[in-house]
Amino acid sequence: MAAHIKLKNVEKHYGNFRALAGINLDITEGEVVCVIGPSGSGKSTMIRCINLLEQYDRTGQIFVDDLLVQRGKNLKNVRAEVGMVFQNFNLFPHLSILKNVMLAPMRTRNITSANAKKKALDLLAKVGIAEQADKYPAQLSGGQQQRVAIARALAMEPKALLFDEPTSALDPEMVGEVLEVIKNLAQTGVTMIVVTHEMGFARQVADRVIFMDEGQIVEQGTPSDVFDNPKESRTQNFLNAVLNH
Amino acid sequence: MNHCHRIFAVALLALLSQLGTIDTNAQTGEQGPIIIGANIGNVPWEFQDTSGAFIGFEVDLVTEIGVRLNREIEIINVPFNGLFAAVQSGRIDMAISSVGITEKRLESVSFTQPYYDSDQSLTTVVGSGITGLNDLREQIVAVDTGSTGDMWATANQEKYGFSEIRRYEGLAPAMLDVVIGRVKGYISDIPALLYYVKDKPNLKVVERIPTGGKYALMLGKSTPLTNEVNDIISVLKQEGFINTLHEKWFGAPADPGTSTVDIAPLPGTSSGLIFSFVETFLNMDVFLQTYPMLIAGLLTTLQLGVLAIFSGLILGLFLALVRLYAHKSFRIIVKAYIDVFRSIPLLVLLIIIFYALPFVGLSLSPFYAAATALTFVSGAYTAEIFRAGIEAIPRGQFEASEALGLSYRHMMSDIILPQAIKIVIPPLTNNCINVIKDTALASVVAMPDLLKQATQAQAVAANPTPLIAAAVIYLMFLLPLVLWVSSLEVKFKVGER
Ligand SMILES: Nc1ncnc2c1ncn2[C@@H]1O[C@H](COP(=O)(O)OP(=O)(O)OP(=O)(O)O)[C@@H](O)[C@H]1O
Ligand SMILES: [Mg+2]
Repeated sequence: MAAHIKLKNVEKHYGNFRALAGINLDITEGEVVCVIGPSGSGKSTMIRCINLLEQYDRTGQIFVDDLLVQRGKNLKNVRAEVGMVFQNFNLFPHLSILKNVMLAPMRTRNITSANAKKKALDLLAKVGIAEQADKYPAQLSGGQQQRVAIARALAMEPKALLFDEPTSALDPEMVGEVLEVIKNLAQTGVTMIVVTHEMGFARQVADRVIFMDEGQIVEQGTPSDVFDNPKESRTQNFLNAVLNH
Repeated sequence: MNHCHRIFAVALLALLSQLGTIDTNAQTGEQGPIIIGANIGNVPWEFQDTSGAFIGFEVDLVTEIGVRLNREIEIINVPFNGLFAAVQSGRIDMAISSVGITEKRLESVSFTQPYYDSDQSLTTVVGSGITGLNDLREQIVAVDTGSTGDMWATANQEKYGFSEIRRYEGLAPAMLDVVIGRVKGYISDIPALLYYVKDKPNLKVVERIPTGGKYALMLGKSTPLTNEVNDIISVLKQEGFINTLHEKWFGAPADPGTSTVDIAPLPGTSSGLIFSFVETFLNMDVFLQTYPMLIAGLLTTLQLGVLAIFSGLILGLFLALVRLYAHKSFRIIVKAYIDVFRSIPLLVLLIIIFYALPFVGLSLSPFYAAATALTFVSGAYTAEIFRAGIEAIPRGQFEASEALGLSYRHMMSDIILPQAIKIVIPPLTNNCINVIKDTALASVVAMPDLLKQATQAQAVAANPTPLIAAAVIYLMFLLPLVLWVSSLEVKFKVGER
């Protein structure tokens, strides 16, 4: 089960500032897309428009499968289909790890608490932290917290997953464990858009790499297209700066 | 500062002065002025003229006494119910306020010989159909808390079948309710009422209630000054000075044979002992006598407090959510509401709701008037507390909830409010404690709350023990609340670790 995501001429203005300058993008079912680009280029803004955490300008359109992403009663269906993982985890600090994962399915899908618990424990096992189920988020390391956040998103059985720099807030020694989980997810056939600064990871898992700058998609292609033979000078400069860093 | 708070303050000051060395200045008065406590506003005995100067029958009398003693006098404003503790503690040397001599009061204070024979009276609105006490069956009557009228009405409630005795903090609020029609009559000292209705054709003193009250100066138990002052009063009577005052303030000389004219003996005291600190402030007999009144007051206070706290919480939460998330025009209205109700003094609001709303046809009982005022104000404060609490929740919590597809209601009830509650518990507790303390302000709308009952009890017993007991009761309820909440906070913090 995977979703088809389509952005048509999506713009986003903050006052006079244009954060997105006409994005057109078609992501097929099960595709894994990595988005790279310099800071402030609009990567976060773009993926946050897909589940309407940001309202994009009226001139554009975003579809998830056949649903237009807009305020209204369809929005909850869109959000149920599209999971999101944040840079800062955003776990619910007052709920145990288990409750963090159980809550959304129970509230939106009317499933019993016993079923939600079983499902949550399965997912926690899958991301490797089943034994922490009764702890609270603050008792876990950053890497563990991010894995809980992934399990929490998976509990809604999403058809698409959005990752906004999922490893940027982590200590270096924890980056690997989280990327490992995401890599495994990429095998499951769910549609994924991953904003990341981890070029090695992008090269390994991406079906397509998108390079953004100044609110636009400057270049896109397979990892080897973009990383080994970048056509645009902005892409080359960016890659030089990042890889030689 | 409010009336009741002032009573508290007086009792507290009294306590402090008793604990330290007794204020020798006030007690013996070798040097310095004689301090006189007066319930200013008690016409025509002691009130203010347009320039703010104290005038009145008793003001003239003590001024003359000061001249004869060759001592300065200084008059300070003390509410009627604070006079007893103030005299007993030596905080003031003498009290004037048409205080009547009673057996009970003589147990703990001294009086000079009387200079005025008084009775109680019933005042009603002209055309209300009430022409005497016998028309008051099943009706509510007004009295001043702890006054002679209060004692008479309490003793005669069954005989005349008053449905309720409502206790006010003075003539003005009581008369306002008589005019509104919420109470049918006001029982109080006849001279004050005759003076008050003189220029008010819609009011009438319809019955004299012979209680045989005698007004005298009240002093601390067996202070030497009592005899000195009493001798001067004898002289002033002989000279006809006091009768001149009668003529000045009541427009006619006193009848022959009354206390205003004839010299009377010093009122005897049932015991010559000066009460000790314990007997004055922690008097077990007084406590046992007045204990049922205090418990009744406590129940009222708790009912009012709990009702206002809960309705204030609901109102506050609603206002906070509107203020944060509703359409702009609603937000502006709610912000205006919050600003207004946080600025308006509760006492003023209480008076408006109780005394002004009847003029537009909305007449609330004292209890519901007080509950409404407390809820309105508490709701405004609670709204700001909730808003601050919700705004303190990081944006990421909202975004994660939204991204998971939680509805607005679930986001609030499962994610945002549970976290906000922990942040708002300390300020909310303070607000709850304030609400409970503020119930004492309901005294002005004749609500028999704990402080009101204590005030009445201390005036009846002429002993401040009930006030001390009330303070202890307040502490017994509020202190555990504070401790309980602190422990909750600790628990919440542990849960998050
Ligand atoms: N709420 C906002 N108001 C005004 N400007 C904003 C707002 N959010 C983002 N921007 C601007 O929009 C631009 C794109 O921001 P965005 O967060 O999408 O960049 P990004 O590519 O994710 O950068 P980074 O790698 O630093 O996360 C930036 O210049 C940013 O300053
Ligand atoms: Mg970003």
